[in-house]
Amino acid sequence: MFDLFHNLGLGFGVVFQVSWWSPWWLYGLSLPISINILMCLIGALVGTLVGVLPGIGTVATVAMLLPITFGLPPVGALIMLAGIYYGAQYGGSTTSILVNIPGEATSVVTAIDGHQMAKQGRAGPALAIAAIGSFFAGCVATVLIAVLGAPLTKLALAFGPAEYFSLMVLGLIFAVVLAKGSVLKAIAMIVFGLLLSMVGSDIETGASRMAFNIPELADGLGFATVAMGVFGFAEIIRNLDAGAEMNRDLVQQKISGLMPTRKDLVDSTPAILRGTVLGSILGILPGGGAVIASFASYTLEKKIAKNPSRFGRGAIEGVAAPESANNAAAQTSFIPLLTLGIPPNAVMALMVGAMTIHGIVPGPQVMQKQPDLVWGMIASMWIGNLMLIIINLPLVGIWVRLLRVPYRLMFPSIVIFCAIGIYSVNNAPVDVILAGVFGLVGYWLIKHDFEPAPLLLGMVLGPLMEENLRRALLISRGDWSVFLTRPLSAVLLAIAAFLLVLTVLPALRAKRDEVFTESEN
Amino acid sequence: MADTMGHSATANRNTSVAIGFCLLAIAPQIFELVWSIGTIFGWGAGRGPATVLISHATALLASAPAALIGAIGGDTKKASSDVLLALIYSYPIFVVAILTLFMTIKSAQDYIGGIVLMALALFALWASSDLQGMRGFSFGAGTAPRMFGGLLVALGAGIALTGLLTDGPAMAHYAWRGPLFVMVSIVFFALAIRPLGVVVTAFASFLIAAMGTHETRWVEAIIVGACLTLGCALLFPYVLGLPMPMFPRFLAQ
Repeated sequence: MFDLFHNLGLGFGVVFQVSWWSPWWLYGLSLPISINILMCLIGALVGTLVGVLPGIGTVATVAMLLPITFGLPPVGALIMLAGIYYGAQYGGSTTSILVNIPGEATSVVTAIDGHQMAKQGRAGPALAIAAIGSFFAGCVATVLIAVLGAPLTKLALAFGPAEYFSLMVLGLIFAVVLAKGSVLKAIAMIVFGLLLSMVGSDIETGASRMAFNIPELADGLGFATVAMGVFGFAEIIRNLDAGAEMNRDLVQQKISGLMPTRKDLVDSTPAILRGTVLGSILGILPGGGAVIASFASYTLEKKIAKNPSRFGRGAIEGVAAPESANNAAAQTSFIPLLTLGIPPNAVMALMVGAMTIHGIVPGPQVMQKQPDLVWGMIASMWIGNLMLIIINLPLVGIWVRLLRVPYRLMFPSIVIFCAIGIYSVNNAPVDVILAGVFGLVGYWLIKHDFEPAPLLLGMVLGPLMEENLRRALLISRGDWSVFLTRPLSAVLLAIAAFLLVLTVLPALRAKRDEVFTESEN
Repeated sequence: MADTMGHSATANRNTSVAIGFCLLAIAPQIFELVWSIGTIFGWGAGRGPATVLISHATALLASAPAALIGAIGGDTKKASSDVLLALIYSYPIFVVAILTLFMTIKSAQDYIGGIVLMALALFALWASSDLQGMRGFSFGAGTAPRMFGGLLVALGAGIALTGLLTDGPAMAHYAWRGPLFVMVSIVFFALAIRPLGVVVTAFASFLIAAMGTHETRWVEAIIVGACLTLGCALLFPYVLGLPMPMFPRFLAQ
């Protein structure tokens, strides 16, 4: 317990670290500024912006901003990128409530009841409850990361290659269970991602694999490139299909009275609590993350409500629960990354990229070798949440004005920003073309109802998995039973097998489909 | 009457799907042929178009069947890469294309999706066929790609099978305008950024991308494009310190 406070103290110390800034135009005068607070603010604001704007997601944004962090100190860079992820969860709800289009995949369900509330003239309370729920969930998740961080790191140190491999298998199976649609398709997407990750040089022998003597492929496909193609360009092309002018029935009346009534608060408190718990759990699980958390918590609220027919007609629980859940999940998904070095979703995979850019190898040793980095990031999350709730509600008007920017002007701008972003990662024009090709691949995947998220997870975990598999088999001298004879590894694999069987069983499958079809009816 | 009409309609669709698969089966060969045309103008190194054409044609028509028969007869001679491509990639897909003619496809979305994934996996199997396999109990460079390639072939086949057995959505509608202009804009950006610099490239790419929808109003787009270009020209090289050429090379000199 004392350790916890000590660590958090260290973290806040890092965030509030003041440096003196003396630009030339002040003629020798110095101003005290805290770079990390500034980064946190920028991250939170950019995150809210992409959350509000439909048609540009967090994955594409983080990928786009990766090169920007080259010039920053590592702590500041990671604080900013983390801010984008949870900031987007706040922003997404604004669009969902006011326009009935989800600004972000995580707030699809918020639109159902949130927009109804807005139509009834209660947009203010809906926005306020969404923000309060998000803030509460953010605080709880921050504490959870701090509490779970150290013990999980100790556990991770007991992991050998066999355990790591089994853990990643479990993570990929989770991704399958939690993915939308057909199980077979989700597994196929993961294996496709694993295959893509093999392009480039072999880690042990250095042999060039599937690179066709193209020098640009010798280093492998860049993760940011593929992510930008599949999540950025493909999304734009898909949106153009539907016609650039999306039907935006923006709530026109002025938003008055942000404060929720006493009844609103009483109704939403238990929903916020449940959403936070569910979101925190689903966030830690690999393959989970914020999207599934919001869907699951909405379904849960509807199930246990005394009068389920209220849902879809402006029930405040339908806003409170998913908004708390997605924010909690967005933050707890940092736990596997910081303690085990395994990214549980695509955004976390990009964080791995950001850490690698700054020479940090993610894994259990980070917490011991660079405690200031880890605890600084954790502390910044709490501060970021505080900033978001203070800044965001007054700024709703500005966000709404941004929503009036027509898509026909927005999409070419996003294309250019993405292109410059990818180009500047390696100063390589080929990367831009590759991202374009993956944009087409992503468009094709969407048309055939394949989920791109498991593909990216497979691509990220591929090299780690192969390395640990080979190492484990080398140590056991080629004996495959090592994965079953080591107790920890056997348990992990057993859970994975159990989950896979459960998903295939018809009864559970129907339940799982129910969670996802919630938004469609 | 209605029944026969319906039947002939599905038969027509099946033939077009089968023809599509046949094209897919020789897509890598066609790609290499198109690519090789560049060597005439001295771009890149590689085989000339004539060599590519003859080599692939003989591989597809003569060498591969010969190798297939030879393999059955127990004759294991080292096959060339082109023959392997025909054997590993093209032939299985030709077989699928022929089988497609005799199937009733219940969900085109799943069936075609599964087969294309299978093709990708077969291609990966071919691409990793020159890599070393298992050495005793330790993995070679090619072991993992072959393992996952094989798995993906099986999964693709499974998805295609669900498309045959269970009802599902038909092929989704593809638009051409959005993808085309966005892609042209991206490719133009990639080719022009080095010689022409940020200012010209970003502005031109913006306008090309804007053609992706018929709702674009040009005056508006030109103003926004100019502002965006100015913003990018200030943000990336100056504020963020990322080195990038600003103006066309011939003007800067």
